[in-house]
Amino acid sequence: MNVIEIKNLTKSYGKARGIIDVSFNVEEGEIFGFIGPNGAGKSTTIRTLLSLIYPTSGSATIFGKDCVEFGPEIKKEIGYLPSEVFYYDNMKVIDLLKYSASFYKKDCSKRIKELAEIMDLDLNKKIDDLSFGNKKKVGIVQGLLHEPKLIILDEPTSGLDPLMQQKFFDLLEQENKKGATILLSSHILGEVQRLCNRVAIIKEGKIIKVEKISTLQENNHKKFKIEVKSKIEDNYFNISGVSALEINDNIISFLFRGDINLIMKKISEIQIANLWIEEPDLEEIFMHYYEKED
Amino acid sequence: MNMFIHEMKAYRKSTIIWTCSLVGIIVLFLSIYPSFAKEADVFKELMEGFPEPVRKAFGLSVDSMSSMVGFYSYTFLYITLCGAIQAMNLGTSILSKEVREKTADFLLTKPVTRSQIITSKLLAALTSLVITNIVYLTVASFMASAVKVEDYSYKIFFMVSITLFFVQLIFLALGVIVSVLSRKIKSVLPISLGTVFGFFIAGMLASIIGDEAVRYITPFKYFDTNYIIKNSSYEARFIILEVVFIVVAITASYYVYCKKDIHAV
Repeated sequence: MNVIEIKNLTKSYGKARGIIDVSFNVEEGEIFGFIGPNGAGKSTTIRTLLSLIYPTSGSATIFGKDCVEFGPEIKKEIGYLPSEVFYYDNMKVIDLLKYSASFYKKDCSKRIKELAEIMDLDLNKKIDDLSFGNKKKVGIVQGLLHEPKLIILDEPTSGLDPLMQQKFFDLLEQENKKGATILLSSHILGEVQRLCNRVAIIKEGKIIKVEKISTLQENNHKKFKIEVKSKIEDNYFNISGVSALEINDNIISFLFRGDINLIMKKISEIQIANLWIEEPDLEEIFMHYYEKED
Repeated sequence: MNMFIHEMKAYRKSTIIWTCSLVGIIVLFLSIYPSFAKEADVFKELMEGFPEPVRKAFGLSVDSMSSMVGFYSYTFLYITLCGAIQAMNLGTSILSKEVREKTADFLLTKPVTRSQIITSKLLAALTSLVITNIVYLTVASFMASAVKVEDYSYKIFFMVSITLFFVQLIFLALGVIVSVLSRKIKSVLPISLGTVFGFFIAGMLASIIGDEAVRYITPFKYFDTNYIIKNSSYEARFIILEVVFIVVAITASYYVYCKKDIHAV
């Protein structure tokens, strides 16, 4: 079953680009990554899902219900952590969390205490006095206190120290095991790689790929680095399947995808001094997707 | 209900401050009334020395000033001015502060409709104004009976006083529609002060010109105290105008706010 279904979602801001024809599904129980550089449209997509902004065309459903029409009903089961958290400054943390909990018709006080303990958050401080990282923690507790079925996170880790990030990821994995579906937007590949099952890559408002993380990393891409003894012509390796070709004097590097025998034959025809073949990390694949579209 | 309580807490301080200021002004003004009444003739002479446009602009009516209600309605001009600023501040800030303080994301991702949000906020603002008016009216009535030198009609006193609330309602509605229509309001005070003083000055000009038509422009002239004192009633056309304006402004605010995109900061 799909928890989120996005169909041809378009949002334009006058002349400025928002998102164009975005479609993807998030299945129940998965951790879905949503990656792209700043300004690619990640937040726009998420804000549309939460009906903070309304789509120009296309539609999105959450739990099978239209996200605009049934917004308030759907939001009972959504926990949202915005990329920048700002709360009513003159409130105490506990008062804010209680206020937040009061929107959901269940008793959340026990969960608040648990989460605050895990995230090491002082409930009696004023929000005003908190550092950015600590405000982020308030955001995390606020987003999870009603045990939502769908957790939407917009660049959640900025401002958290590595230890807290670790705890936070553990927390997310626990929630996921309990059955929560997670949509995680990020431009940090490491965290997506660590947590997610599948990922959608967005660039300039368009989805350019929806893929399993494992598939992305599968052997269909190899990173080649070749040191040649004598200079070869620049176009020698410019065959189909080769990308990100770089030639620096005697060092040639590129990514290859396709029949490995083809490229090995090519290599065997020239005199080489050294050869490295590596699995590219996600970052390189990601950059590669970006560059290809130029 | 939780939003209403939250909003009430947020306005608590400002409600107290505004109420105290209004009460302070009226206590101050009315406490000089006994000495004023004693020397009424001297004042009359003094006032006749002012050029007529000046008298009109400040609402100084030579004949009515010496009576309790007449004196009160003169000072009341400044009470409504303050009250209008309070209401406009409230109206402008109730929705815009969520955007300014970047808390809109918090509130709007909760399982509530936007209409519910406006309703709670409007009710809280309205409650704040009602509290101000009740306290003000109580203190003003008490002061009036304490300083009176002759009997006065409490009905008229009450009718004049309650126009504070009517004027506030207009400015509350105006503030709300302004805040909904603008994308982001950086600071509420310049907008509310500018608008209120603009209308106030327009009201002064209207008095000088003496043109009926100009009265329609400024809410400060909807409730002419001289008319109320004379006829012990309000002018129906202005009541209708007020009701129409409020209904239109609030309905439009609901409509626009429910359709509005809430942008990231």
